Amino acid sequence: MTAVAAKPAAGSALNPTAMVVGVVLLLIIIGACWQLAPGLAFMALIGIIVGGVLVGFGVHFVPVGGAPAAMGQAPGIATGVAMLAAGGGLAGLFGGAWAASQEGLVVSVVTGGVGGGLMMAITCMMVNFIYVYGMGIPAASGKIKVDPITGDTQTEYKSQGTEGHGLPFVSFVGGVIGGILGGAGGTIIYIMLLNLYKATLPTMMKATEAQILPIAISAAGIFAIGIFLVNAVLTAYNITGTIEGFHDPKFKRWPRAVVASAAASALCGFVAILIVTM
Amino acid sequence: MNNIVFGIGITALIGALAAVAGAAEDTESNIGSQGDPNSQVQLAPQMGYIHRIFNKAIAGEPPAYGLWIVLGAGLAWSFMAMQLNAVLAIVLGSVLAVFVQGVYATTAYVGRTASLKKFGQPIYVDILKSMTTVTMAHAFIAIFCTVTLCYLMNAALGHPFPLPLLGFVWGIALGAAGSATGNPYYGKERQYQNQKFGAGVPIAQSGNIVRYAEAGERNSLDNGFFTAKLGGPASGVCFGLIVFLELWRTILFENISAGWGAIIIGVLMILVFTIIDRYIEVWGRKTYGPYAKPEEAKS
Repeated sequence: MTAVAAKPAAGSALNPTAMVVGVVLLLIIIGACWQLAPGLAFMALIGIIVGGVLVGFGVHFVPVGGAPAAMGQAPGIATGVAMLAAGGGLAGLFGGAWAASQEGLVVSVVTGGVGGGLMMAITCMMVNFIYVYGMGIPAASGKIKVDPITGDTQTEYKSQGTEGHGLPFVSFVGGVIGGILGGAGGTIIYIMLLNLYKATLPTMMKATEAQILPIAISAAGIFAIGIFLVNAVLTAYNITGTIEGFHDPKFKRWPRAVVASAAASALCGFVAILIVTM
Repeated sequence: MNNIVFGIGITALIGALAAVAGAAEDTESNIGSQGDPNSQVQLAPQMGYIHRIFNKAIAGEPPAYGLWIVLGAGLAWSFMAMQLNAVLAIVLGSVLAVFVQGVYATTAYVGRTASLKKFGQPIYVDILKSMTTVTMAHAFIAIFCTVTLCYLMNAALGHPFPLPLLGFVWGIALGAAGSATGNPYYGKERQYQNQKFGAGVPIAQSGNIVRYAEAGERNSLDNGFFTAKLGGPASGVCFGLIVFLELWRTILFENISAGWGAIIIGVLMILVFTIIDRYIEVWGRKTYGPYAKPEEAKS
């Protein structure tokens, strides 16, 4: 089949072979970690995989319109999927990491999630502000006729020759959920690595915990941001361009991204663990 | 109590710096067509519309700003490690980062425009000379403000991340906030001023950007002048709110119920912004009305 003949697959094109390969890869990496570094390092790997999957799944909620949104030709936020998700998720990681220096795991992860959600809420609100007050354009979805949350009709608010514009309420809610999941996921990855580094670095570097703390925080932060970006970019490939939120048919592709995110996070996390356990 | 008052003062200063950074970032990116509207600037000559708009988009705003602010923050951090005064270190770090931005802008404009040779688009040397310095000046304001706010978060408020890591986090967030808020205003409202107000640009009109100004041909300084009136300040408000509220809820409410206070306030703020967003959406629908009759009425 040529590229011209190929029809764009909105959601159902899940490839079972690729999924199985992904799951097998994931199991192999988990098994290798269990063999090489059981205990704390293994638990850290599981945490990193959970965090990575949360990030990968969360990115699907973020309404991104890319270049067409900047011309009012498509609904969503006018920037790239991976970058917007990274902006929200890293703002969450900032709050989560701050909380982690004083509080426990649950409070830090929830703080990170709320930080990401807050960043996305402000950004989505300002997008609608610019569309409505700056450009005189009401929000309209191109994928659905009626907003599933508010019941507002969408089709007649779509201007001629466009696929919609702005952020309908359902997309706003999607953006906030995406920010919450991204912020929480990033924070889990950070805390898991930080705890591991704090436990292993003092013996490795023959120094006290207070002395290695800056190195542990920096290394955990860099790896957390790196693993976050890997998952955000992977998911951006899964979405291919633009998505309106969880009501978009493309949202049904999430199982692919979850398996890919789990395998990629496992591999990245394994490398992050090996530098202190080998 | 003194600590909280000090923290609130620093938070207010950081919020103000963030607002300036956001406004400068958006204006810089609009002068350089760095955001998503770059696709139209690149497309126009291919559709037969030769123009004098600057285009330096070889990376999205978030990664580009991530790079420049990490550079500024990393260099400032190194200078401080060499016992240099913090203010001087931040200024020097930002200046060096701006030189990288200048090299980036020059090579990006020349490279992107050279690829349009077969469509007859010339590389204007006067555009390169006049626009690059203006983007560098705006970039300096954005980088300096962001590096300073990262320094304050680390040194005054005690965030555990080192300066370069904070620079990366807030550089990406700055680019994301600026491009999300400012791009539609530049892309739709300025590039397509020849289209109807109050409607999206029809897809068939893609590439037909406005190329003439009140006198002579329009260049990117005109675009920066226009977007600095609303798109820039709105981006500044967006980034300023993000940074200020994130710090404010942590500084004031972190110690209430072992961290849950800050979480509850964060959730409340998300709800407040949800209500504001819904108000804006309903206001837009009621004030502007539908473009076409509702489907029920037709049938």
